[in-house]
Amino acid sequence: MEIKIFKVGKDQPEEAWIRCHEMTEEVREIVAFVKTRQGQLTGIQEGKQFEIAVTDLAYVEAVDNKVFLYTQKQVYETKQKLYELEELLREKYFLRVSKSMLLNLMKIGSIKPAMNGRMLAVLKSEEEIIITRKYVADLKKALRGETSDR
Amino acid sequence: MRGKDFWMDFVRTYFMIVTLITLVMCVVGQVVMPDQTFGYKAFTAPLIYALVGTVPNIVLYSKHELKVKELLVRKVLQLILIEAGVLFVALYGTSDDWWDSSFLLILAGSVLVVYVVGTLIAWIGDLMSAKSLTRDLLEFQRANEA
Repeated sequence: MEIKIFKVGKDQPEEAWIRCHEMTEEVREIVAFVKTRQGQLTGIQEGKQFEIAVTDLAYVEAVDNKVFLYTQKQVYETKQKLYELEELLREKYFLRVSKSMLLNLMKIGSIKPAMNGRMLAVLKSEEEIIITRKYVADLKKALRGETSDR
Repeated sequence: MRGKDFWMDFVRTYFMIVTLITLVMCVVGQVVMPDQTFGYKAFTAPLIYALVGTVPNIVLYSKHELKVKELLVRKVLQLILIEAGVLFVALYGTSDDWWDSSFLLILAGSVLVVYVVGTLIAWIGDLMSAKSLTRDLLEFQRANEA
């Protein structure tokens, strides 16, 4: 795919055009990437597509090779992989807290112990998410603005 | 926890217990029975007791992340298995016949106390970490609030 970049004046809106022969998986990935950079994700619910603001997401979970986006009240499926979302959402205050979950740090109300070195993130919506021992150190670093070794 | 992480943890715990039992035998032996001598067989005691203390860790293994209540139930089961293992070794693992019921009761009680105190210390440590994390979290959220 050829990439062309045109500079526009400040008075014109910035746009990203994709001219393609058909809507392939690759094109979908590019669209998803641009949307995520703009703070939006595409979620599927009962066959319909929805645009979800990243700031509304509480957490992202992978279950049986499917990835789900959780807002306070809704659950959407996404075609993006968990590791892709981990990379894309890092700047939006999301952190991996277990093998299968990314958590929005801005949605946590408090943190409690959960035995064996694990922690329990109590969300502002009262939901509870386990932070596994392996990722507690990463959480500590993220909250203190240090970079993770992972 | 992944299987590999679990077994690495298992081996680490085993050798840590071997070291601690050897240390306790050395210190307590010098205080209580300084003139007592042992044969080569005595070297196997820390290895066996450490195995008895570590094998029950298997009940804590799960492919999915255990909820707090599930973990609590499994920890009780782990304690029961440790108690049974320690008492079994004390009863049948030696030819000495100076064990009596009061000694076995003290032994079982000691295992219980060590287990509960160990779990409590770990929990207090986790509680302090959780409080510190909550403080850092609130500061983080204040600093990054749009």
